[in-house]
Amino acid sequence: MTEPLLQIDDIHVHYGRLAAVRGVSMRVDPGEIVCVVGPNGAGKSTTLLATVGVLPATRGAISIGGVPIAGMAPEKVARLGVSMVPEGRRIFGTLTVEENLRIGTYQRADRRNVERELKRIFDEFPVLAKRRGANAAMLSGGEQQQLAIGRALLTGAKILLVDEPSLGLAPMMIERVYDILTGLRDARGITLLIVEESAERALDVADRIYVMRRGLVELAGTSSELEDGAQLQQAYFGFGGEAEGIR
Amino acid sequence: MMISALQILVDAISLGSLYALATLGVGLVFGVLRLANFAYGDFITVASYALIIPTAGATVEIVIGRWPWPFLVIAVAGVVVILSLASEYFVFRPLRTAKPAVLMVGSFALGYIIQNIIIVVYDGRPKAVGLWPELGEAIVLSGLRMPRLELLIIVVTLVLLGALVLFLKASPFGVQMRAASEDFRMARMLGVRANTVIGTSLVISGFLAAVVSLLFLAQVGVMSFNMGVPLMLFAFVATVIGGMGSLTGAVVGGYIVGFASILLQALLPEHLRTFRDAFVFVVVIVILVVRPQGLLVPRAARERV
Repeated sequence: MTEPLLQIDDIHVHYGRLAAVRGVSMRVDPGEIVCVVGPNGAGKSTTLLATVGVLPATRGAISIGGVPIAGMAPEKVARLGVSMVPEGRRIFGTLTVEENLRIGTYQRADRRNVERELKRIFDEFPVLAKRRGANAAMLSGGEQQQLAIGRALLTGAKILLVDEPSLGLAPMMIERVYDILTGLRDARGITLLIVEESAERALDVADRIYVMRRGLVELAGTSSELEDGAQLQQAYFGFGGEAEGIR
Repeated sequence: MMISALQILVDAISLGSLYALATLGVGLVFGVLRLANFAYGDFITVASYALIIPTAGATVEIVIGRWPWPFLVIAVAGVVVILSLASEYFVFRPLRTAKPAVLMVGSFALGYIIQNIIIVVYDGRPKAVGLWPELGEAIVLSGLRMPRLELLIIVVTLVLLGALVLFLKASPFGVQMRAASEDFRMARMLGVRANTVIGTSLVISGFLAAVVSLLFLAQVGVMSFNMGVPLMLFAFVATVIGGMGSLTGAVVGGYIVGFASILLQALLPEHLRTFRDAFVFVVVIVILVVRPQGLLVPRAARERV
């Protein structure tokens, strides 16, 4: 068995007295694409935010490549190779496209690789190269999503945590973003943990899937195990109903 | 008539410059920490008191105040920067996760503590200190009388603004500071060190407090335990006018408040001049009624729905 790249072990996260995550465990192996699906308020984003150290886990352990990171400051977690492509992209709108891309490079130990990697990002996302001097706020939603991915990669990340990448994008752009994400794994060996509302899309791209509901992992399995859908549907909605939207 | 109009203009630019520097000092820290630091006026006060030997006596013994100006500025700035960093460490850091209102009250408390320490150590009476008296002389240019100090204030402000813009646009620290002011949490998730960014903003803001204090003291010639409070007040007013969180707005706001003060001083009928500041605040209220969000709102704040 390979050593997991990311291991989340029975974490609990609270907003005030409200428990948003109640004992969640996950593992992501190097080079895997893992999707977390579930309805709104299931605790998916909260799990990601606790992993990167932005929200404190009140209980449980998290480790990256065997290094425990629970309670670590976000900037330290980032230096261990974990980077976030957050919900809503959270581009720095007053900075230029290039400044956005460089923001995560200043703290890197291997500064000499930066220029080469920046060039590679510009080659792969020509729209960013074309608008490198423009204020990032001027980009369209899809362009901002590419910028958020490029920005995360340039931190020197080994694993990207991607939160709802399709949110607010046109269907064609969603296709493009998922092509980019799967491409990252295939061409660069980047590991991905993606939060996705649509179970169908998760089945398409993921090696393995966790289904979360009400702060718990209801179901876990490989995409092929869950492919027929009945089990997934039950876990997602909490009943065996005939809801639409699931294969 | 032409001459006196130009005279007023120079006065206005000079006072506006002073306010712009103080407003930037407030705005830089607000951007990063979301801290409205009401102790900033007292940081300005401390800078002036650093020039003299601590004594409650009536005679003033100037020490640092006699040094050649580069050493003087560095020493005074050093004192304020240390005070600024210590305030962050002992007061603001423990409150970092608290509500902004709690931080604000904390900064008020800090300000009163500083004022009272000054009263205890230096006595509450104002002290006359002639700093750089040679700057009091005026340059007369075809009838236009320009005090050297006013010209110095204008030049210093332009140089500092230029340096700050260069720092924020072209240095890695500056880019990280801008990112952190826009979205602190996101910046940290990308590896930007919170303490480095906060520390940098406090160092710059402390340095600006020192410069404002020295220029102000050179102008009025008297220091008192609450001399910085009106400067802080006008800086906050300027911040609100300019748009909270926008540094360009801070500069614009500072100049607007400076211009309003000088123009009202010149144009108000004599018996109303004592109430000049009240009229300045009327101008502020009018601006805020018309544009409650401030004149320049940072794009990020506008777009984050």
